[in-house]
Amino acid sequence: MAAESSEGEEEGKLTGGNQILMIDDDLREMGKKAAWSVSSCKPGNGVISLRDDNLETYWQSDGAQPHLVNIQFQKKVRLQLIVLYVDFKHDESYTPSKISIRAGDGFHNLKEIKTVELVKPTGWVYLSLSGADPRETFVNTFMLQIAVLSNHLNGRDTHVRQIKVYGPRPNPIPHQPFQFTSREFITYSSIR
Amino acid sequence: MLDFDELHDVIFSHFYHSLFFVKNVLAQISGRLFSDSGPRRSSRLSGEASINSNGNAIALSGNGTNNSSKHLGGSKLSHIKFRSMTIRKGQSWANENIEEGIHNDVQNDSRLNITSASSCSSHVIEVKSCEQEAPTLPDGGLVMSSSKVISGASEILSLLRVLGEGYRLSCLYRCQDALDTYLKLPLDHYNTGWVLRQVGKAYVELVDYVEADRAFSLARQITPYSLEGMDIYSTVLYHLKEDMKLSYLAQELISTDRLSPQSWCAMGNCYSLQKDHETALKNFQRAVQLNPRFAYAHTLCGHEYVALEDFENGVKCYQSSLMIDERHYNAWYGLGMIYLHQEKFDFSEHHFRKAFQLNPQSSVIMSYFGTALHAVKRSKEAMVIMEEAILADRKNPLPMYQKANILMSLERFDEALKVLEELKECSPCESSVYALMGSIYNRHNMHDKAMLHYGIALDLKPSATDAATIKAAIEKLHVPDEIEDKL
Repeated sequence: MAAESSEGEEEGKLTGGNQILMIDDDLREMGKKAAWSVSSCKPGNGVISLRDDNLETYWQSDGAQPHLVNIQFQKKVRLQLIVLYVDFKHDESYTPSKISIRAGDGFHNLKEIKTVELVKPTGWVYLSLSGADPRETFVNTFMLQIAVLSNHLNGRDTHVRQIKVYGPRPNPIPHQPFQFTSREFITYSSIR
Repeated sequence: MLDFDELHDVIFSHFYHSLFFVKNVLAQISGRLFSDSGPRRSSRLSGEASINSNGNAIALSGNGTNNSSKHLGGSKLSHIKFRSMTIRKGQSWANENIEEGIHNDVQNDSRLNITSASSCSSHVIEVKSCEQEAPTLPDGGLVMSSSKVISGASEILSLLRVLGEGYRLSCLYRCQDALDTYLKLPLDHYNTGWVLRQVGKAYVELVDYVEADRAFSLARQITPYSLEGMDIYSTVLYHLKEDMKLSYLAQELISTDRLSPQSWCAMGNCYSLQKDHETALKNFQRAVQLNPRFAYAHTLCGHEYVALEDFENGVKCYQSSLMIDERHYNAWYGLGMIYLHQEKFDFSEHHFRKAFQLNPQSSVIMSYFGTALHAVKRSKEAMVIMEEAILADRKNPLPMYQKANILMSLERFDEALKVLEELKECSPCESSVYALMGSIYNRHNMHDKAMLHYGIALDLKPSATDAATIKAAIEKLHVPDEIEDKL
């Protein structure tokens, strides 16, 4: 699975970034249900800064590369998208340039599912976890690890301001193979 | 003379005490009438001194200086009025109610029906006792002369009768009957805030959101500052996905009264429609804080917990809603949905059955009840319920789709396809219909048709999950080359 999905995207280079976080309606944030940890951090710029919805604060690593962010879920979850906020204008050499995303049941069997290269990004950067095969639209996993392999301008430590993890919304109607799409179906499909 | 709208609200908030209220109201009316006309009329009657003095006594009491004597006079008058009522209408009303009470008992033995039947009969007894008392009144001739009072009072009573009957029926969730009853009202009374809100609520129970929207928005035009029922209105707008109207309503309600649970329910619905379920939950919890006895706010909290997949708290919310109001079918439905999610099908069936017993006219509840029945392997009953649901509401495509689902799992593919073909005609833009057809053709090994339907389903923007499923299914299809080219 890991080998297949990394084929097309291996060389993926991402530039720019969005100032406004735009997410499809059928995705929802999953990070709240996870336990977050980092390989190292400077006091005052800890893991909490990654999840505080504040773009002014940032997580700053304080150790040897690669810098790791571990996202562990209580149960197996379906994930589709990771969104990072990084800011080259402010962070310069602290801005990550090469990122690897790994998934697995725990620390013991993480497999790389994607690597991306960021080129002077400022804003929200979208990293899709989908593979080329339609059966690999989602990653079913207990754990996700985001590894910052290198920074811009050969910087040592890294800054990441926000990380969000998205998975598909489940079908609101249990025991139905497909979700309703048209308004008339949705209107009459439930009561409140 | 009296503000009828106010009268409705006062009287129907205490429906079961309505008779008592009517007496008081009549006491006031007759008191006022008598205070200016009583002595004059009695002198015109040129009766005996005793009658005159009696008339004066009533006139005095009518001035409201002495409360107890006023009530005395009032009750006498109301007895007389009741006599005329019973002659004209009272008797037939009584019979009708008793019949209906028994009918309800047979049809549906929930507790309220029994209590309502008994309360009806107690009303009847009161009416009868009044009738017995009436002839014993000494000066009947005096009051008979004031025929205006009697006709006015009986008019009010017949009006209240219609309103009460409508309210009773809608409390029993016999909503179509309730709507028919409200239609009997004169136009001036139909177009009042209270009646229109009741009409709107009845339409909601019948899952006719468009009509409900119309009734509620009229009600809002007439009584823009009334908050009662606005929580339901916001739910209607939620279902219709009218996000603009909904947020406007929420804003207006909040500016009208920040401390009413209805306002915060509307606000919560607004956020829920934007899929911001956490904020929605906070708003609904605020509504609960403001009035912990407001059952609907608890239910809405439950819905939000379900949307956040926190079923444990969802169950708690629904249960606290049911503690307040056992007949709040939305909470039963919510519990049924949770158990359906958790695949506890027996529980689910039980809770949907409860909801169904309370509101047997909602096609949505019916179709989920059918789904639950099918899940506990009672497919025959499930199919019967589904047919009923389809007949109950032609506009609702849900029972048809669920029926096709059941047929498919029973491997009655041809029938399922027939149902889906019909659905396709009604709503040609529904991706899930084509997707389901595709998978049926797939099971049938008709790969070309499966391919065609999967393709259409994909074009209609299914959710990412479904798109992945469909694409995966397409890859597995073995399609001869020339057909693949044609597509």
